[in-house]
Amino acid sequence: MRPRTLTFTLLALGLTSALLVSAAPVVGQSPKSGGVLTVAQREDTPQGFAIHESSTVSTTWPAMPCFSNLVIFHPLKQQESVDTVIGELAEKWSWQDNYRNLVFFLRKGVKWHDGQPFTSKDVKYTFDMLREAPDAAAKLRINPRKDWYTNVQNIETPDPHTVVFHLKRPQPSLLLMLASGYTPVYAAHVPPAQYRTACVGTGPYKLKEWRKGEFVEYVKNPDYFVKGRPYLDGIRYVIIKERGTRVAALQAGQVEVAFPGDTSKVTAEQLKKAVPQLVVTRAAENVNENVIMNTKKPPFDNPKVRLAVAHAIDRRALVQAVHQGGAAIGVSMPSRPWGVWGVLEKDMTALPGYGKPADEKAKAKKLMAEVGYGPDKPVKVEIVTRAIAVYVDMASFIINELKQIGIDATLKQIETAQWHAMATRGEYQIGANLTGIGIDDPDANYYENFACGSPRNYPFYCNEEVSALFDKQSAEIDPKKRLAIVVDIQKKLEEEAARPTLTWRIDNFTHWPQVKGLIPHNNFYNYGRMQEVWLDK
Amino acid sequence: MKTYIAQRLGIAVLTLFGMSVVIFVLLRLAPGDIVDVLFSAAGYVNPSEKQAILKELGLDKPYWQQYLDWMSQILVGDLGKSYRYDLPAWQIIKPLVPVTIELAILATIISVLLGVPTGVVSAVRQDSTLDYALRVFSLAGLSMPSFWLGMVIILSLVSWLAWIPPLTYVRPTENLWLHTVQFMLPALAVGYRSSALIMRITRSAMLEVLREDYIRTAWAKGQRRRAVVWRHALKNAVLPVVTVIGIEFAFLIGGLVVTETVFNLPGVARFLVEAILWRDYPVVQNLVMFIAIVVIISNLVVDLLYGVLDPRVRYGS
Repeated sequence: MRPRTLTFTLLALGLTSALLVSAAPVVGQSPKSGGVLTVAQREDTPQGFAIHESSTVSTTWPAMPCFSNLVIFHPLKQQESVDTVIGELAEKWSWQDNYRNLVFFLRKGVKWHDGQPFTSKDVKYTFDMLREAPDAAAKLRINPRKDWYTNVQNIETPDPHTVVFHLKRPQPSLLLMLASGYTPVYAAHVPPAQYRTACVGTGPYKLKEWRKGEFVEYVKNPDYFVKGRPYLDGIRYVIIKERGTRVAALQAGQVEVAFPGDTSKVTAEQLKKAVPQLVVTRAAENVNENVIMNTKKPPFDNPKVRLAVAHAIDRRALVQAVHQGGAAIGVSMPSRPWGVWGVLEKDMTALPGYGKPADEKAKAKKLMAEVGYGPDKPVKVEIVTRAIAVYVDMASFIINELKQIGIDATLKQIETAQWHAMATRGEYQIGANLTGIGIDDPDANYYENFACGSPRNYPFYCNEEVSALFDKQSAEIDPKKRLAIVVDIQKKLEEEAARPTLTWRIDNFTHWPQVKGLIPHNNFYNYGRMQEVWLDK
Repeated sequence: MKTYIAQRLGIAVLTLFGMSVVIFVLLRLAPGDIVDVLFSAAGYVNPSEKQAILKELGLDKPYWQQYLDWMSQILVGDLGKSYRYDLPAWQIIKPLVPVTIELAILATIISVLLGVPTGVVSAVRQDSTLDYALRVFSLAGLSMPSFWLGMVIILSLVSWLAWIPPLTYVRPTENLWLHTVQFMLPALAVGYRSSALIMRITRSAMLEVLREDYIRTAWAKGQRRRAVVWRHALKNAVLPVVTVIGIEFAFLIGGLVVTETVFNLPGVARFLVEAILWRDYPVVQNLVMFIAIVVIISNLVVDLLYGVLDPRVRYGS
């Protein structure tokens, strides 16, 4: 390790397994060991256990129990932040050289499920593969989160239990990215392709069987590195494609835990009415509904038309009409209590689309009139959305709103297989879209969805000045100063109608009362480890 | 008879060839491919990565070559590899087949047990209250989609009994009772709809036969009602019924998509839809060929049954 100042050797010291072990799962109750938990799974896991090749909760949810990260968000704390990050494979960590180096001190004696020892080589292998380092030992078939690691210059392994991430510039958010459910450490001796059909991890549960289209079953890992964990003897994820059947299965007790993001407010109310003892917790999904407008195609190549759209859509009405009150309004980052970075609701009123509905419509009409359109002389456009009910409902609402300001939109439903290809190629005018973000941090959102040239920046929005702010906030070490920059970015993005956010989805996470120690986080990608979960029966 | 069967098998081979071409072409005409779906789960598309995966899966080859590869694989009993699961397609398809066959057989048995007797009674008691009641019963069966009936059954059970049949497939060797319970409800839902069709065909065929001279003669000879109806009339009315049963059975093999989905049974039809959505060509192509083979065999069996049921039918060269 090269010499470094220790001015910013911060945090993390002592955030060890002790935290996990000492965390009281449920006040007043001693956890019991044993039992097999049954959990709903909405579809067969799309990429097997290859979390690094996937971007869906359908993969992370059933695959997370197999793996461990370097660090993880505290499983028993709903709101994720830098303060809730605890060690997993890393016993402790240390920021050095003014947040330019992140040093992890790894646990000793950890074994992979196949008995091989876990060392720093595995960490380097995983993250070199993810950042596509020139000398990486392996390559992923699909690498959706490569952008998360663009700031990593190189990774050193001075000894088998120490790893140093050298960064190009300070980036405090890297720690949060490493804590995401999307960031497990792979085994260096297992080809990445093998994770599509099998799982060799260091996690609390070992894969017993994956019967395609039926279930994924785990058994307790007797060699798990956290003493006394996991509590359960096993977990069975029952794959139930039909939503009505999934709800019936939960109601009948055939599954004890709902799939994250699956229980709408109305469904939760019905379930509670039928089975009052069910436990329902409102939690953010970290998934937002947004409008994508192709800045390269008319009429949305005109900033005034984009801004008119942003003004025209009544977010609060959308929450009521489409979600029956079961969603939250917010701009490009979720607001408290659902996130830590978002503009406060009281400050949103000045932003396009968040004022009084009549005033907003009037502003939208004025902008449309300036470019020669209006309700009497509408511009015809095609609005695309995925052929999935939640998308179509949102799109239908948008169509109705746009009609009032002189945009006559017809709906075109796109099959899932075509959706991202179409959006990436920009073969659309305007679309109703959903975007999930792996962690509640501006870096994960802005570089992916708003940065110039990003493949997921579907509207092709590009503002160098705003991009510079992305870098500025990313490198800012002081959380307060960073928040101020992020708020500024949010306002700018809304004022430019870069990709107007409509709502942030809220899940009504439901489980049976005997399930303890399963706390839904405000981000459904990150709480599937299940090591703290136990059954009170 | 042997010549007839040989001829039919020859035609079957041609039919299968035609089917293979149709399904191959249709799949390629559908927009998108497996790589688009894979990227869809990743939320973006990278053209160079896409090209690499297409090459890895052999999808960069010309269509004719892909078709010939598939055919040559089939001839040596290799069904290729599932793109989605990265496993031999046969390994994916094999466990699905018994589930669907069992469900289709059970549903067919239920539909026959329900449809034929009610059709006969309805014809014999033409225009009576019982006839009207049975016709309403059958019309209801035809009007109600089986998936809707299935969902109503599930929701009724969970609401009234707080119970539903097992949603993870229980093999008969694991627990025969649970296995039977698991299959009976979907079989009833599907069988009811099919029985309605069989009932109506049986009724109309019986009405026609009951007006024949030889039936009048049987009545005149003082034969017992049971003998006239079940031995003389039904035996002669059964040919169209058998045809419908054969068609229904063949339909059930590939047509149980929603029923399998609602009752969460891991069968052919549910998996076929999934495989189509994933553009998992090897699985789709081979599942469709399997369904085609079952349809051809069931049609052949029905045709051969004609000769057994009606001595006038002869199979010549």
